[in-house]
Amino acid sequence: MAPRWRKVLRDVWLHKARTTLVVLAIAVGLLGAGAVLDTWALIQRATREGYLASNPASATLRTDSIDAALLRRVRAVPGVGDADARRTVIASARAGGPWQTAVLFALDDDPEVRIGHVQPEAGAWPPADGAFVVERSSLDFSGAAVGGSIGIMVSDGQAVDLPVTGVARDVGLAPGWMEHVVYGFVTRETLARLGAPASLDELRIVVREGGMDREAVRRIAWDVKAAVEATGRRVRDVDVPVPGEHIHAAQMNSLLMTQGGFGVLALLLSGFLVVNLIAAMLAGQVREIGVMKTLGARGRQVAGMYLGVALVLGVLASALALPAAAAIGYRYAALKAELLNFDITGYTIPLEVLLLQLAVGGLLPVAAAAIPVLRGCRIPVGEALRDAGMGTGHVAGGRLLHRVSGIARPLILSLRNAFRRRQRLVLTMLTLATGGAVYLGAVNLRASIRRSVDQLFAPYRFDLTLRLADAYPAERIETVLAQVPGVAAVEAWGTGRAAVAHADGTLGNSFPITAPPPDSRLLAHPVLAGRWLRPDDRNALVVNRGLMADEPDLRVGGSVTLVIGGRPTEWTVVGVVETVPAGAAYAPRESLAALTGSGRVEVAAVDAALNGDGAELDLIQRLRGELEREGLAVRSSQRMVESRRVLEDHLLMVAEFLGAMAWLMIVVGGLGLASTMSLAVLERTREIGVLRAIGARHRAILTIVQAEGLVLALLSWAIALPLSVPMSVTLGRAFGRVMVAVPVTYVPEASGVLRWLALVIVVSVAACAWPALRAMRVPAAQALAYE
Amino acid sequence: MTILAPLQPQPLIMLRGVTRTFPSPAGAFTALADVSLAIERGEFVAVVGPSGSGKSTLLNLLAGIDRPSGGEIVIGETAVHGLSERAMTAWRGRTVGIVFQFFQLLPTLTAAENVMLPMDFCGTFPGRERRGRAMALLERLGVADQADKLPATLSGGQQQRVAVARALANAPAVLLADEPTGNLDSRTSDAMLEMIAGLVRDGQTVVMVTHERGAIRVASRTISLADGRIVATEAAA
Repeated sequence: MAPRWRKVLRDVWLHKARTTLVVLAIAVGLLGAGAVLDTWALIQRATREGYLASNPASATLRTDSIDAALLRRVRAVPGVGDADARRTVIASARAGGPWQTAVLFALDDDPEVRIGHVQPEAGAWPPADGAFVVERSSLDFSGAAVGGSIGIMVSDGQAVDLPVTGVARDVGLAPGWMEHVVYGFVTRETLARLGAPASLDELRIVVREGGMDREAVRRIAWDVKAAVEATGRRVRDVDVPVPGEHIHAAQMNSLLMTQGGFGVLALLLSGFLVVNLIAAMLAGQVREIGVMKTLGARGRQVAGMYLGVALVLGVLASALALPAAAAIGYRYAALKAELLNFDITGYTIPLEVLLLQLAVGGLLPVAAAAIPVLRGCRIPVGEALRDAGMGTGHVAGGRLLHRVSGIARPLILSLRNAFRRRQRLVLTMLTLATGGAVYLGAVNLRASIRRSVDQLFAPYRFDLTLRLADAYPAERIETVLAQVPGVAAVEAWGTGRAAVAHADGTLGNSFPITAPPPDSRLLAHPVLAGRWLRPDDRNALVVNRGLMADEPDLRVGGSVTLVIGGRPTEWTVVGVVETVPAGAAYAPRESLAALTGSGRVEVAAVDAALNGDGAELDLIQRLRGELEREGLAVRSSQRMVESRRVLEDHLLMVAEFLGAMAWLMIVVGGLGLASTMSLAVLERTREIGVLRAIGARHRAILTIVQAEGLVLALLSWAIALPLSVPMSVTLGRAFGRVMVAVPVTYVPEASGVLRWLALVIVVSVAACAWPALRAMRVPAAQALAYE
Repeated sequence: MTILAPLQPQPLIMLRGVTRTFPSPAGAFTALADVSLAIERGEFVAVVGPSGSGKSTLLNLLAGIDRPSGGEIVIGETAVHGLSERAMTAWRGRTVGIVFQFFQLLPTLTAAENVMLPMDFCGTFPGRERRGRAMALLERLGVADQADKLPATLSGGQQQRVAVARALANAPAVLLADEPTGNLDSRTSDAMLEMIAGLVRDGQTVVMVTHERGAIRVASRTISLADGRIVATEAAA
C-alpha cells in the first residue's frame, strides 16, 4: 500500500475514539434511512406481488340474488375478464369473550376463489357447511382457535355455535384486529342456518384489459351495471377501487415516505459531523499538508487523502449500518405487513436497494467533507508551513463575558471555549436542535391527534348505536328504547348507501348516507360551509369534506343526482361538515325514508345516562332484550368509545412511528456533541495541561468540559423551540396526508419543552462523560508537551 | 541504482535582481532587495546572516514555496518565478529536496514510509522499487536500522537523517536545508554537517541556511546576507 494511504488509515486509527463517534453517527443516520428504505422496498414487493397475485376485484357491484346465469351474462360483457359473487353479512361473534362485530363472507358454490384469492393457512379450506373459517388477522383478536367454536348471531338474535375449522388470509381486507371486526368465511348453507339471507348479492369483476386505468374500469363496471339491470335486478352501488393498489397502500407509502424523509435528514445531519471531524483533522494537520506539498504532493493528491478518510468512515458506517438496517427493515416490514394483512415471509430486499445504501453511505461523508478538504488543501505551502497549529483564541463576545460579574472563572472559560470554533458550534447545535425540533414536533402531533379525535367525536353526542335487522317506523323504535332505564336520549336514524351519478353516465364510489331527524340533539357536526339540515328541508344534502374531495364537482347550493337503492334522485347540497376522512353525507330522515317506500328506519342512536364499559354493555343487553320483546330484532351494536379507540389506535400508531425518527436524530445529535467535545478536549490538551499545572483539580477540569457541553446543549434546546414550529407544520401536514387532518400547533407543548430540556441535559452529560474523563487522565507533563 | 543527481558541468541556479517585499501595517517590508546570485552544480553554499536578514526568504524562493516580487529565478532550465501553482508543485517535488530545522517528518508514517512518500506523490520510481530505494538512502545516511520505527521513537539526529533521506528520495537537483542543525546538539550537528558534505562530494548541490560556524568550514562558498542584501561572498580556502 502506498505510504499516503497508510497515513490515511493510521490517522483514522490514531483518532479512533472520535472517529468511532462519527462512524456511529453516520451509521445511525444510515440505519434510520436504510431501515425505512428496506421496509418500503419489502412492502412494495410484498404488496405488489402478493396483492396482485390475489387477483383483486377491479370493481364490486351490489345487487340482488346473483345466480349462475347472471354470472355468465356478466362474463360476456366486453372487457370483463372474470366475475364471481359472494354475500357479506354483518353479524356478532363471540369466542369466549364479549360479543364483537363480525363480517361473514359466503362465497359462491365454486370451491376455487377466482377473484380475491383467499389463502388457506391452517385447517380446512373451503369451509364446510356449518363450519367457520376465521380470517387470520382476526384470529388473536376474536379469541377463536381451530378446533374450538365461535358463537355467531345474525338478524334473529339467536346465537349459533359454529366449529372453527380453519384459518385463511384475505389480503384485500384491512386487518380485523385493527378494525375490531371478526372476519370469517362460511357457506351459503351456513348463512341460511344462521337465519341470514343466503342469496349472493356482491358481484365482483376483473377487467380484461386496461385494468390499471380506473376510468376504463369504471366504464366497464357501468356496462356490467346495465347488463345486471337488464335482468330486472337493481344495482345498489358500484365500487371501483384504485386499480392494483391495496386499500391502505397510499397511507403506507405516505407514512414510509415521511419517515424516509426524516431518515434522510438524520443522515444529512450525520454529514455535519463528518464536516466537523474532517475540518478538525485538517486544522491539526495544516503543517503536514504544507510538508507534503513541499515533497511534491499536488492539491488533488492531498484532497484525495482526506476525502479517502471520509470514504473510510462511510464504508465503516455502511458495514455497521447495512446489516442492522436490513434486520430492522425486515421486522418493521413484518409489522407494517401486519397492518396491511400481508405476509413478507420469503421476500428479500432488492439488491439495488442495498447497493443504493452502500453508495450513499460511502459517498455522503465524501460529499460532506469536500468543502473543508478543498478549502484546507488550497492553503499556500508557505502559509501552511508557518501554521502554529491552534487558533488565535479570539472569541466572539469574549469581552462581554468578562464584564458579567458573579460568574466563576472556570465557567467563563467554558463559555469562551464553547464559542471558539464557530462553524463547529453551529453544526453541532443544528444537529442536536433538529433532533429536538422533530421530538417537539412529534409531541405536538400526538397532542394534535388527541385534540383532533376529541373534535371528531364531539359531534357524536351519543354512546352507542343499535342496527336493527329490519326497518321500522322511527317513532316505534324511539318509544321502545326511551322507556329502558339508563337511556338519557334516543333517536332513530335512517341509513343507506349512495353514489353520485356523473354527467358521463358513470357512478362514483358509494358512500354512507345518514339521515337523522333535522332537529337532532345527538348529532352536531361543525359546519364548514353552508348550513346544517332544517326541519323544512326536502332532499337537502350535507356532505363532508372527504366526499367533497372524492367528488370535486359538488358545491354548496348546487344540485346532485344520487343513486340510492338503485334509484336516481335529485338533491341540493346545503352544507359541508367536518367528520371522518372517508366520504359521507347527511340527509333529512323523512327524505331518505321516503325513498325506501316504507318510511322506515333501522338505526337507533342512544345516549346513555351512565358511562363505563360495564354500564354500557349492560345497557346494550337490556336494549336488545326490550327490542326483541317488542319483535324488533337487533343485527349489531356499536359503542362510540370503541369506535374512538379503533380510530385512536390507528392514528397514534402512525404518530409513534414518526416519533421514532426523532429519537434517531437525537442519537445522531448526541453523538455529534460527544464528537465535538472530544475534538475540543484534544485541541486544548496543552491548555488543560497549563490549567492542571497551575492547580486545577480533576473536579475543575470535569466541570469545565461538562459546562461547555451543557452550554451547547442548552443553546440547542433553545434553537429547537422555534425550529419545532415548521417541524410541527410539516409533521401535521404529512399526517394529514396519511390519516386525518389535524389542527396545526404553532406553540410547542409545555410538557414537551420540559421533557426536551431534561433530555438534552441527559444527552449533554452522557456525551461529555468520555471527553471529560480523557481530559482528567492526560498527565500534565504530556499535556504541556502536546502540539 | 541512482541515488544522487549526476554531476553536470553547467551552472544550476541563477537569481537576477530578485526582490521580495511583504506588506505590513507600517508599509511594505523588503525582505530581499535586488539579489543576484549564481550557484554552480555540485556547490555547497552556506547562507548566513543575522535574524531578519532574508536567509529563509531566499531559501523559500529557491524552493518555490514563495514567489519573488521582482526579478528572475532560473533553476536548471526552468524559470521558477513564472510557474503556475500546479506546475510549481510538480517541479518542486522532482527538482528540490528540502530539509527543515524541525525535521517535519509525518508522525504516523515510519522512517522508511516517510522516505517513500515523495516517490509516491511524484511517481518518480516504480512502486515496487520505492522501498528498496528508501532503504538504500537510509543505509547511506546510517539509519537503516530505524527504518520501521515511527519518528517519535527516534532521536533528533536520527530524525534529521531520515529527513535528509526523504529530501533525496526523488534524486533532486538541489538540496535546500533550512537550519538543519539548529535543533541538534553540537556532536550530532557536526556529524550532520559532515554527512551533507559527503553528499556534496558525491555531486549533490546543496544550499543551506545556517547559523553554524562549522557549516562555513565545510561549505564551498558562504554568502552573507544583511537587510535583504548580499553583503559578502566567501569561497572556501
